[in-house]
Amino acid sequence: MSPPPNTQLTSRRLLSPPFFPLMALGLCLLNSRLVAQSRFDYNTVRGRLPVAAATGRHEGESDLELLGKSRIQAMRPYGGQWSGGAHLLWDGIVGEAMHSSFDVESAGVYDILLRCTVAPDYGIFEITLDGTDVRQSIDLYGSQVDLAPLLKLSDVQLPAGPCTIRFKLMGAHPQAQKFQGNKYLMGLDFLELVRKDVPRVDAPMEISAIPAQGIAAPGTVRKSNPPDPVPSFSAAEFTATMKQFCLNCHGKESVEAELDLNLFTTRESLMSRIDTTRQLREVIARREMPPEDQPQLTDRVRQRMLATLDGVIQDYLKKHSSRSPVVMRRLNRYEYNNAVRDLLKLRGDIYPLPEKTIRSDHRYFDPATGRFPKSLAVSNRTLGKEQIENPILTGVSPFAIDLQADGGFNNRGSQLSLSPILLESFLTLGRSILESPEFDDYCQIQETFFSVSDESTSEQQQAIARQRLGSFLEVAFRSPVEEGVLNRYHDFFSARRQQTGSFSQSLKEVVAAVLASPRFLYLCELAAEGPESQLSSYELATRLSFFLWSSLPDETLLATARDGSLLQRNVLDAQTRRMLADPRIQALSQNFARQWLRLDQLVTAAPDFDRFPQYYSRIGCEQWKFGLQMMIEPLLLFESILVEDRSIMLLIDCNYSYRSDELQAWYGDVLPFADRPNRDRFNTFQQQYRKRSLQDRRQGGILTSAATLTMTSSPLRTSPIARGAWVATVIFNRPPPPPPDVVPPIEADDKAIEAQGLTLRERLKQHQSNTACASCHAKIDPLGFALENFDAIGRWRDRYGSGLEIDASGELFGTMPFRNVIELKDQLLDHPEFFQRAFSEHLLSYALGRGLELEDAPAVDEILQNVATDHGQFSTVVRSIVASTPFRYQARSPSPPPTPAEVKTKP
Amino acid sequence: MKPLRISRRTVLRGAGAALALPLLEIMQDLRGHEDSSTGDAVSGPQRIAFFYIPNGVVQSAWNPVDTGPHFTLSPTLQPLAEIREQVLLLSNLGRVKVAGTDGHAQASTCWLSSAAPDELSPDGYPLKRTIDQIIADQTGRTTAFRSLELSCNPYEDNKESMYFDNISWYGGSQVARSLRDPQQVFNRLFRVEQHASSKSILDLVSEDARTLRPRLGLRDRDKLDEYTDSVRTVEQQIERVQQRQEELRKFNPQRPVKSWQTMHRDEFIQVMGDLMILALQTDLTRVATLMTAPERWSTPLKIEGWFERPIEHHSWTHDQGNEHIRNDLAKLDRFHVEQFVQLVKKMSRVADGETTLLENTMFLLGSGLGSGERHESTNLPTILAGRAGGRLKTGQHLRYPRETPIANLWLSLARMMGVAGDRIGDSTGLLNDIMVT
Repeated sequence: MSPPPNTQLTSRRLLSPPFFPLMALGLCLLNSRLVAQSRFDYNTVRGRLPVAAATGRHEGESDLELLGKSRIQAMRPYGGQWSGGAHLLWDGIVGEAMHSSFDVESAGVYDILLRCTVAPDYGIFEITLDGTDVRQSIDLYGSQVDLAPLLKLSDVQLPAGPCTIRFKLMGAHPQAQKFQGNKYLMGLDFLELVRKDVPRVDAPMEISAIPAQGIAAPGTVRKSNPPDPVPSFSAAEFTATMKQFCLNCHGKESVEAELDLNLFTTRESLMSRIDTTRQLREVIARREMPPEDQPQLTDRVRQRMLATLDGVIQDYLKKHSSRSPVVMRRLNRYEYNNAVRDLLKLRGDIYPLPEKTIRSDHRYFDPATGRFPKSLAVSNRTLGKEQIENPILTGVSPFAIDLQADGGFNNRGSQLSLSPILLESFLTLGRSILESPEFDDYCQIQETFFSVSDESTSEQQQAIARQRLGSFLEVAFRSPVEEGVLNRYHDFFSARRQQTGSFSQSLKEVVAAVLASPRFLYLCELAAEGPESQLSSYELATRLSFFLWSSLPDETLLATARDGSLLQRNVLDAQTRRMLADPRIQALSQNFARQWLRLDQLVTAAPDFDRFPQYYSRIGCEQWKFGLQMMIEPLLLFESILVEDRSIMLLIDCNYSYRSDELQAWYGDVLPFADRPNRDRFNTFQQQYRKRSLQDRRQGGILTSAATLTMTSSPLRTSPIARGAWVATVIFNRPPPPPPDVVPPIEADDKAIEAQGLTLRERLKQHQSNTACASCHAKIDPLGFALENFDAIGRWRDRYGSGLEIDASGELFGTMPFRNVIELKDQLLDHPEFFQRAFSEHLLSYALGRGLELEDAPAVDEILQNVATDHGQFSTVVRSIVASTPFRYQARSPSPPPTPAEVKTKP
Repeated sequence: MKPLRISRRTVLRGAGAALALPLLEIMQDLRGHEDSSTGDAVSGPQRIAFFYIPNGVVQSAWNPVDTGPHFTLSPTLQPLAEIREQVLLLSNLGRVKVAGTDGHAQASTCWLSSAAPDELSPDGYPLKRTIDQIIADQTGRTTAFRSLELSCNPYEDNKESMYFDNISWYGGSQVARSLRDPQQVFNRLFRVEQHASSKSILDLVSEDARTLRPRLGLRDRDKLDEYTDSVRTVEQQIERVQQRQEELRKFNPQRPVKSWQTMHRDEFIQVMGDLMILALQTDLTRVATLMTAPERWSTPLKIEGWFERPIEHHSWTHDQGNEHIRNDLAKLDRFHVEQFVQLVKKMSRVADGETTLLENTMFLLGSGLGSGERHESTNLPTILAGRAGGRLKTGQHLRYPRETPIANLWLSLARMMGVAGDRIGDSTGLLNDIMVT
């Protein structure tokens, strides 16, 4: 949910349903086991080692900065010997030089290995390294295109940070041919640094990617030593405690938050209203209740209360283990695109989607390598681009986007309905794809599937069509092909064949029909006996591929479904790991991360044009926003963590980030392009994003990214409440309740507030003199004020414009104080269970296509155990979710149907 | 009241530059077949359309001081001056707000709901099939399209959930999706040929659905029913559109050429309104909803020619204590009334049999919030234009006792559209004084 920027006060409606999504049953607050003595260094968590075992390899095509005339050339046509299949290519005249830079992680003595390319029109170069006395000549002439021998520059002393290498063109071999009249070329495959002054360790500081025993089976959770048990209250003690601390406000006389706790004084009543009981537990655990101005519980009493409530909840779960069923869900337009693309083996997408934010001319995303490029050229598809982007296939346009559920994702079966309009869209869309003039060239099974030899007889063609449809329908419907279904589609083919006389045309019409079938459009899971049952192998394959790829299972996965082996846990895990290394895993960035971070809000964020002119740049008659550069940063961070299998804790704090030069400058003390005129102020098209080492801990991670900070601000000032709500939702998965009916206004411009000699924080405080507002805001606001040192466009400020001091201090859950944003990050890193739980819950909810409920808590606890043990390693989160019971089992919908019979919907 | 006498020139001027309505002479032939269940043979088929404005209005600038036929137009209602004889202004109608879900989401989602306050959908909204869809169950028996849902939601982000963005629902969780691209609306209504080729596919896939259904769990069957019901509706649609193929081809309206993203705000609303009028006058449907913008969203929006800076509708509603902002907000309300009035005037110029389209239509402007300041759902702004075939007593302002459920109005409208029944949601009776007896 996204609270309005101006909604400054919220009444205490503590127990409204969305307020407390599933939270820990484990005593995460009381368990200090995970608090490290000295902080764990999450930067060292790295699972998939780069393919080239040397950690210091910089690929010419991806890790070196492309400057001037440098560009990437694919080398596969010349053979497979180039690492990465490409190199950096440059051309120039004698006297000119290719230069580029690479990052040195730590100062020291290195051997530098250079792998260049030789060719008939390549020149002689002198290689120098800025800041060193290296000077080395190399002749790149070769009678054929090939790799040059490895060149080694020995014992070079390098400082940490960026280092520039230059190849100056000195001349050429007498036999060399000129390029374009007066030029010669050079090519660099890679540059590799080998540390000389410390012994090399093969896998230094790496955390093993794969737990020795694999993912723990349900019920065999790795347990730590439990803390000494705290005795529960007796019934009388519990009632007395409630009376003493709670009933003053939540009793018969005065019923705050529409909650009468007189109804909750016996064990039976707690059991019968388990959702409220769970919420009760949470507010007590997080010290949100009783409110500050009321008598407080001692630690001992609080622990005994929690023990009592936990006992009730555990008992409840023993009796009610059935989870809520996953409702059959329709594909959203992102999934539809991927599914059609993979089903018909198309060369790319069927339509351009703003959901695919990052646009790149070359494939930078290759998880199989285990390395994310250090430098990549990308642009933003979403901001402004949508309207002017041409369709990929003529006549094919996407159907309307499905909106995200409150605090969730747009893949929830319960919210993905179908209406006549949408059915019409599906009918039109399917046909338009097959009929588009580009289709035949775009489809890689055009020959093998849609075509048939002219000499074949009509009978032969019938047989061929039947055979092809058999395998096609298995993939399209993700299930074994039944005779009846095959007959139906084959009959349809025969009828069309008779009418059109064309094999190809008829088969296309069959495929258009397949794309409109409920078996294609819905993730169907057939009902089985019993309250809860394991998914069939095909159903499990479908859940898995739509979770990881937002698409259909591929042939390899389908094979494990066909022989049933996918139901074996080791096979399931092996498939998961395989799929994590496939480029299609980028769906987790495009579809999951974008929604999870609510990055969409940046599209229309509108800092005031006069106050923040640097945010705008005019091209033609249109104002472009700097948000288009900002939006890419958190996505690239997420992708680098995914590809290199690092810890998700890097999303909280990280010592690197991917930024364009202009975005890097945005974080600096002085903005170099602020003084430029509005026209062409900054780059709005493709540019180079490079991995930057961050020393300054005010930066790094998603919380302090310019994207987050800008989209949670209003035009003329920051909005600590919107920021707090974002943190509560995204980082803690605890979205605040809907704003109350009466919301007192706060000035829209911080200048107007400061003119009264007040900071925004003081102004908000004035408005919370009312206890009802204050108790709720005591939770939301500190999270937002922790970011108050960043202005409405995400730039650091030490003080407000008027010179007033900024107070960024606060407290998390009553026990974890911080003075500024760095200390907030420290608290989150020292108590990683909060973020790891929230992230796991978000991803599990996404994987299932439904919201989580109390009954999911034990499964989340198990996932969290694994995630914590592996320090938040990305693949562990994914693999634990796949191994979890809610993912592998289908709960059956209860009988009779849950919603009372109403006017039968009949559109 | 006599139908307005108008020249062809007026029609073209009124239709706006982006979309030229076709000539009156042709239009006269375009009424669908008479349906005795809705309206009598004399007055012709009755239509109903809803025009939604989000976030409530500035109450002080909206409410007229007096009632009756000679009521004084309030500042916001000034644009009604030209058409005051054709409108009914209704005050103090409201709905019960239910705790637990967001006030704005409830405003849009439950405005037309037929649910009583204690009939909650799975997501916690008092939401059942909306009144437009209940009416369409009746009127859609003969028209090509059972109903038409339009939206001028201008935002390109996806900030809010579907409950902020929809006013028309088939049921508690099945939304009647709206179209917001005028070109798509046009194609759906008038590109007849694209419907026909779907027919054989529909036969095939509905067989898939039929064989799948018994093997699904109960909840999934409900989901699949959305599919099969949609198939049935689209099949009927194809059949009926084909029956009218010839006349629609003669009619030959022009497709809007501009993309909605490049339209000014008023142009966008007017073009969408034009398409709605086209669908009503050609009797392709008799029920339409047009949502001018979604609830809340809190995204600054340009309104060219009215405001120099992007407006912040939602934020402003919470800052009405500031006189400057309150004035801007009232001006925005007036902008919406002005758009509505433009469309009413266009309807009054479109011939419908012996009379005008407006005479045979009920066109209602409203919002699910009285005022956005406190998220009140009392005194919902409500303007009803048109004469329902002469059965509405227009030209007056009626003020009801507070707490009068707006469901009473929905019940009255449904009755006039030929729907039987004595109760809708928490209705307590008909609004008898709006109807000619």
